[in-house]
Amino acid sequence: METVTTQDITVNDLDFIIHYNPDICIMCGSCVAQCSFNAIEVAPQVRKHEPTQEGAKQGHKKKILFVIRQKTDLAHACVGCGMCVKVCPNQALSIEANPESRKNLLARTQGVIKRGGRASSYSLRTLDKIMVGRISQMTDPALDSERHTFDLRAPLGRILKAQDLPLKVDGQSLSLEKNCPPVRWIYPLLFSDMSIGAISTRAWEAIALACAYLNEECHLPVRMCSGEGGMPLKLLKSEQLKYMLLQIGSGHFGWNRIIKSLPLMRTDPAGIIIKIGQGAKPGDGGLLPKKKVAPHIQAIRGVPETALHSPPTHQGLYSIEESVQKMHLSLNAAFGFRVPVVIKCAASLTSVAVYNNLLRDPYHISGGFFLDGLQGGTGAACEISLEHTGHPIVSKLRDCYLTSVAQGLQGQIPLWVGGGVGLTGQAAADCFKLICLGANGVFVGKILLQLLGCVGDEHGRCNQCNTGKCPTGICTQDPRLIKRLDIDRGAEAIVNYVLTFDSELKKLLAPIGNSSLPVGRSDALITSDYAVAQKLGIAYAC
Amino acid sequence: MFYLNSFENQKRMSTQDLLLRIAEQVAQGETQFTIAAQGQHDLGGPLWNKDGTKLQFWISNPGQRVGAMALSNTEIVVQGSAPADVGWLNAGGEITVLGDCGDTAGHSAAEGKIYIAGRAGTRSGSLMKKDPTADDPELWIYKSTGSFSFEFMLGGKAVICGMDVDQRQSVLGDRPCIGMVGGTVYVRGKIPELTPEVCVKALNADDESFLRQGLPQFLAKINQISALDELSKFSLWQKIVPNQSYTPVTRRSLQDFRLESWISGGIFQDVFPDKFASNGLVARGIYRLRVPIWRNNLGAAPKEKDKRVNSCRDCRICAVNCPEAAISREVQNEQVVYTSNAELCIGCGICVGVCPEGIWVLEDNFELKSMDG
Repeated sequence: METVTTQDITVNDLDFIIHYNPDICIMCGSCVAQCSFNAIEVAPQVRKHEPTQEGAKQGHKKKILFVIRQKTDLAHACVGCGMCVKVCPNQALSIEANPESRKNLLARTQGVIKRGGRASSYSLRTLDKIMVGRISQMTDPALDSERHTFDLRAPLGRILKAQDLPLKVDGQSLSLEKNCPPVRWIYPLLFSDMSIGAISTRAWEAIALACAYLNEECHLPVRMCSGEGGMPLKLLKSEQLKYMLLQIGSGHFGWNRIIKSLPLMRTDPAGIIIKIGQGAKPGDGGLLPKKKVAPHIQAIRGVPETALHSPPTHQGLYSIEESVQKMHLSLNAAFGFRVPVVIKCAASLTSVAVYNNLLRDPYHISGGFFLDGLQGGTGAACEISLEHTGHPIVSKLRDCYLTSVAQGLQGQIPLWVGGGVGLTGQAAADCFKLICLGANGVFVGKILLQLLGCVGDEHGRCNQCNTGKCPTGICTQDPRLIKRLDIDRGAEAIVNYVLTFDSELKKLLAPIGNSSLPVGRSDALITSDYAVAQKLGIAYAC
Repeated sequence: MFYLNSFENQKRMSTQDLLLRIAEQVAQGETQFTIAAQGQHDLGGPLWNKDGTKLQFWISNPGQRVGAMALSNTEIVVQGSAPADVGWLNAGGEITVLGDCGDTAGHSAAEGKIYIAGRAGTRSGSLMKKDPTADDPELWIYKSTGSFSFEFMLGGKAVICGMDVDQRQSVLGDRPCIGMVGGTVYVRGKIPELTPEVCVKALNADDESFLRQGLPQFLAKINQISALDELSKFSLWQKIVPNQSYTPVTRRSLQDFRLESWISGGIFQDVFPDKFASNGLVARGIYRLRVPIWRNNLGAAPKEKDKRVNSCRDCRICAVNCPEAAISREVQNEQVVYTSNAELCIGCGICVGVCPEGIWVLEDNFELKSMDG
């Protein structure tokens, strides 16, 4: 027997315990072969032997069995992804989350913990305390969600007041006297910014493919944001560029190639998004570990093989005013003032100040304010930022919206919000409630990955997006793992989900009698939480 | 003939009092009624003479739901216009309105006939039905309808003559026939874009015969017989029926879309070519995560607590336990050599786990540099 000391790390110190039944295991090797985290192995196990009479003569008291065993060192600790359970033909394995895990503590003896996914410590969801409580029955007509027609489009771009539109009478018709800020009317569910590099080429392409499919086969004007990892050149030069919002982050990755592609573009992109902050890790910039900076990522981003840290802020910006001037103006100018330029910030106690500044922008070059709440996902963050920084989205959206209402400026700079939208699987309900509270639309990222096959969740399952070992081929650049992702099946799942989202959104619109998006219709909402009712200014019900 | 003025001595009868008076008269055998109404509702139905004799009503200035739930053998003529829900749930009555009708005229009518001399309002003819044991309900309109007409229509026949209508405007309003799954709407005049669930067709002989038979009767009822010639030009008529061949839009598979309409070869083709074949979780050859290497006498350190020289004892336990039968044993130059066949091996490491000498070691497989090689 080897000596075991109290300080040795054993299975009961880890987050996940693998239960194994050797009686039904056929030793096919599938579980060990596929484990991308190398967390299980084949090992001999010494057993007590009940000798038969014949055996007793020979004196055998022990026998050796070969079994599947969980590794116990922290570097190879099981992350609970469950791929072994999936692949086992006999269900000989199961995984249990260990409530007595000490890993959270022990792993910090080896440095700052990094991981991906969403925050798990903030489990409160205000959205789940809100119901759609105003149902048109005797008061006014409800609609038939399946047979009536709805107009589910949201603006992206600066909306001018009617009297400010530069219109002049031109004979029998109206014409524009000068350039008018561009506005795109798009689907209120935007595929959010996940960069090439953070997610695999196939995962990124699957989302882009689903986006194009939804436009061309299903006639839903869904748009996708590139993320801050640059753009594929072939997409920049294609007609499908019109579905894309190009993101510029503080790392400015890939922008030299985007700029050089300007003369080659056959169409304008849907928009430009200036990323200031991210809800999952506000105050921290993007992070792409070296393991994921594969040669093709180096080529797309225009970078050497090294870990890529985006600075926490745009280094050239020192004030809100300067941000409007420099970023908004320059990016508007680069695309001939034809493409809406929007800004994305992590929700923060200071968000209202930012929104107010945008609302007062005299040049009308700010086309949208994107607010990202603390339940947003990330491909890699320090766990401490993920779990302990950020601001919930619901009240901050409400603050911003009501600020604009108080000044009579609502609807002029569209508010788009995200960060945990769809966390419970029901993105349509989240979207509807957020729109009633003042949002024009919502953006989602994590659920798209989950639809592609990602098994990460808010209870600690997997979330190893930063390691490059993603078992589903989504958050990795390892071709062996990417190969596991079926691009068509993945894209199909996203398409089908969005079609269901569309039906479900109508199912909520119909009873309140709206055939268009109910922006700011907070009268449709109730909550049985008095504090929430007070804060959001919605009806308290019990 | 029972004559009733519902407004006498500066006092208007309530709907309830009026309806009870009419019912009392019907019970006493009265079959003919002239009612000078003051907006009282639900006049004309459901009433019946116990001997089956026809009940006839001449009504002026009615309230809502004239002839609602009317039974067969009820005949109603409204002098002038009538507000909403004329002939709602009509169960067999014949209702003539000599003016315009409000919203939802003929809503849910299942039998009987409704003749309208003017226009009918929004959602007229919605949810008209067909009872298989009875004749089709009919809704005849001389001019036009408001929007959302014939919404969710299930059966019956509607005729919209499009007379006295601004020819630039739809005679069915906006968005007619949404969710229409049965029945026929005959229409003469401009119609707006329709949902794909319904289609527009030319009249056939049966249709013409229906109109040829019904039009003189309708026009006589509404005193417009002079329009018969104009309305008998059947080439100017069309009919709207459910689109039998309509199937919800079939979408291409994602794969077909990718191959036919997506950027050829994929968007990363220039930097990371990918043919998009995919593997299961368990892969072989170059796609394995790990590979076993047979390291016999290659300077590997002796196993801990086992000072014997680290060399293969040719026990074959690896080959026996390999789930894919990937391990082969050969004798080369009088030396035993074990090899693992990459095309069969899945990299599970069972050989590594079972080897009593630690000859097999498992290494990361870095063979794959791109998606396919």
